[in-house]
Amino acid sequence: MAESPPQTAFAEEALTHLDTLYRGALRLTRDPDSAQDLVQEAYLRALRYQHSYQPGTNMKAWLFAIMRNLFWDRFKGSRKEDVSLDDVGEFVLYDKLRDEGAKPEADVLDKLAASEVVAAVEKLPPLHREVVLLGDVEGFSYRDAAQTLGVPIRTAMSRLHRARQQLQKSLYDYALESGIVRANGTKEVPNE
Amino acid sequence: MNCSDCKEKLDRYLDRELSNTEMLELQLHLEGCPPCTDNYEFQASLKRLVKVCCEQDKAPDALREKLRQILT
Repeated sequence: MAESPPQTAFAEEALTHLDTLYRGALRLTRDPDSAQDLVQEAYLRALRYQHSYQPGTNMKAWLFAIMRNLFWDRFKGSRKEDVSLDDVGEFVLYDKLRDEGAKPEADVLDKLAASEVVAAVEKLPPLHREVVLLGDVEGFSYRDAAQTLGVPIRTAMSRLHRARQQLQKSLYDYALESGIVRANGTKEVPNE
Repeated sequence: MNCSDCKEKLDRYLDRELSNTEMLELQLHLEGCPPCTDNYEFQASLKRLVKVCCEQDKAPDALREKLRQILT
């Protein structure tokens, strides 16, 4: 059996993933103070269970799994409620914009405010939000995301697909409300 | 590969989760299909946008220092 790494080396490596954990905690709790508490608790737990970490494996995924498990324990009472997404069907933003004559479609993305993109992510139910964080923000493979979430790969893929559809629907709704697009085509919005 | 197959596999292509063979088939289709290429570029831009927007938050320095003291 491999020996545990020295605590200092372990801590130093673990701290290189702090931004990832904080961002994840912030998106999950949607509150900076709660995010900091959650991250601190996650690191304390990681230190306590560092013997279970296999050096050379994906420490970021290991730490994220600890953090999100704590989130579900502390904030959701371990109940990973099956919060269903709105039934948006196969909503593809590109198709929607193209159908409505918004050319070029990519220009619409340039006009979306960063805060609205984050808000759209935070509107997702937690089970879907976390898979977007892992897949789209942190660049986890399907396998690593599935292991982190403790679900089969097919489940992670399915959640990611549905979450993206909902995300695109939210961004489309925002684009409509803010006048970036109209139901029958683009509206000119001057860039800042 | 047709446009329907391409659309069905686009997420996995963007996520670099296709096999080498599937990836080559999809790349070949994209090279000869401007509408699918437009869709691919849009989806890639959207994925980048989500990443960039959500990556703007960094852990507070005070938290980093506090954890460093606790952990080391």
